[in-house]
Amino acid sequence: MPLEVINVSNLTKFYGDFKALDNVSFQVEKGWVYGYLGPNGAGKTTTIRTMLGLLKPDHGEVQIDGVNSTKNPTEAFQALGYAPELPTLQTFFTAKQLLDLMGKMFGMPSQVRKQRIEQLLNLVGLEEWGDKRIGKYSKGMVQRLSVALALINDPVVLIMDEPTIGMDPEATAHFRNLFADLSKKGKTIFISSHLLDEVQRVCTHVGMINKGRMVFSGSIAEVLEAFTQRWIIEAEVQEPASDVISALKRLDFVEDIVVEGNKLTIQLKEKKDFRGQISTEIFKQKAVLLSLNLRKITLEDAYLSALKGSRAD
Amino acid sequence: MNTLQRVGVIVGYEWKRALAKKKILALVTLAIVIQVLPFAIFTQVSPGFLTEEAKATMWIFGVLGGQSLFIQLVAIIIAGGSMAEEYEHGTADILLSKPIKRLEYLSGKFLGGFLLLIAIEAVMVVTGVLMGFAFFGPQNQLQFAPVIFVAIAYSSLLFFSLTFMFSEAMRRGTLAMLAAIGVFITSQIVYSVLLVLYTLSQAAGHPVQFYLDVSKVLPTWSAGNLPMFIASELMPTLRNPLIALVTGDIALSAAVIATYMVVSIAIAVIRQLKSDITKKAD
Repeated sequence: MPLEVINVSNLTKFYGDFKALDNVSFQVEKGWVYGYLGPNGAGKTTTIRTMLGLLKPDHGEVQIDGVNSTKNPTEAFQALGYAPELPTLQTFFTAKQLLDLMGKMFGMPSQVRKQRIEQLLNLVGLEEWGDKRIGKYSKGMVQRLSVALALINDPVVLIMDEPTIGMDPEATAHFRNLFADLSKKGKTIFISSHLLDEVQRVCTHVGMINKGRMVFSGSIAEVLEAFTQRWIIEAEVQEPASDVISALKRLDFVEDIVVEGNKLTIQLKEKKDFRGQISTEIFKQKAVLLSLNLRKITLEDAYLSALKGSRAD
Repeated sequence: MNTLQRVGVIVGYEWKRALAKKKILALVTLAIVIQVLPFAIFTQVSPGFLTEEAKATMWIFGVLGGQSLFIQLVAIIIAGGSMAEEYEHGTADILLSKPIKRLEYLSGKFLGGFLLLIAIEAVMVVTGVLMGFAFFGPQNQLQFAPVIFVAIAYSSLLFFSLTFMFSEAMRRGTLAMLAAIGVFITSQIVYSVLLVLYTLSQAAGHPVQFYLDVSKVLPTWSAGNLPMFIASELMPTLRNPLIALVTGDIALSAAVIATYMVVSIAIAVIRQLKSDITKKAD
């Protein structure tokens, strides 16, 4: 069995003259939680819809669990679960009816379906809503059901487009834990999201796309490293006198200082923790240091930096 | 799962969808009302011109009465939403991201919708026969009812396939139904005009056969008349003033229906296999 559970290679897709995907390639390995990031119109949904065989690529191919999804969708999608963004499910069905239908599409026997449906309704917190029509559900409940539908076949790969959109904070936390559990069980999860904080918390790896081109694909640690130009130390002093600022600016490793009230944002020339030297210098100037933090780069910083870089190209 | 099983799941889905949406309930109710109403009216006005022989064959009036218009409209309604509604609501994405081939999905939708139409036609035929018994006593020549039912089902394939093709090609249910109704009305008008032209040419002493030939390739000619042609072939001596059974070329009308059906299905298949799945309508 291949280690790469999702293998997207050289995917190109045109809408008329518009190139929506330009030679997009990335691999997702077993057990990864892969966040797929990009601004609106970058090509995220086009990538997902092509992976699912809903769009026909002009070039390239997608392999799910080692099977070409365009040539052999019945085999490729046997291992896949998909939860679309803001899904519009068949509102005239009940959750149980729809889950049952999806189970049938995977060839699950009746008794297995019955057990699995109960299990999934409990998992997504809809156990009391199973016999009610989906038309009566709130947006968040539809989203929960959509995740349950994606899990009906106990998939190897789970593809989710903005899975926590419309959910309240409690449900979001519940699903974050669920995704972590699924990942621990060896499931591979592909999440398209614009919630960078959420992605940083949940994902082990990220892919970034802009204007149809892959900008980056790798682990969270790698992306932070790749797009961190310099580190920043934030210092809070009681009275930031000009002699304190001048003294700090004279330090070899300080690039620049931005002063906002009593807060100093010190940009460093290197990726190194200089907090000791900074605090020593502040004490030397007889200033009172209230707090001192090394601000590590967030995924949002890296993401914005990556997009800026790709725009410059 | 094999292909047949996957198609079967979609057929089942199509039925459940129609039942859950109460579409089938509405159409069956309408079908029964349409069958019962004329019989009730005839009984009220007590038509003395009906002979005993005519009364004993009133079931044919019930069976064929709604065939040329109502059944064609039901076919259009069922087929119009079949494919298009899934695109419009975004549910096609969910179904087609499951382990199913596009051709299997299309076949399941077509078969499911057509079986639904057959069920409604069966209700109409059975109601027609029952009404004959209920209002006019024992009925004769009932042995031909199954054959006429098959003819009705076959002839409804024309507008069902045509609308199914529009539904897949346009991916908008209302548009597909309007297009099919447009074809139906246009075909009826052109047919009438051609008949008038033929009659005029005949009156002038130079009948133009071309007008009649063209009228026979129009969709409404075969879809509307084939069951009637078969009934008149089966019951040549039928005397009933309410049923004007006309004779016609059964083989030609069957061939015309088959041609429209094959071409429509081929276009729908090409569209489904070669194009992207349209995103949910905003």
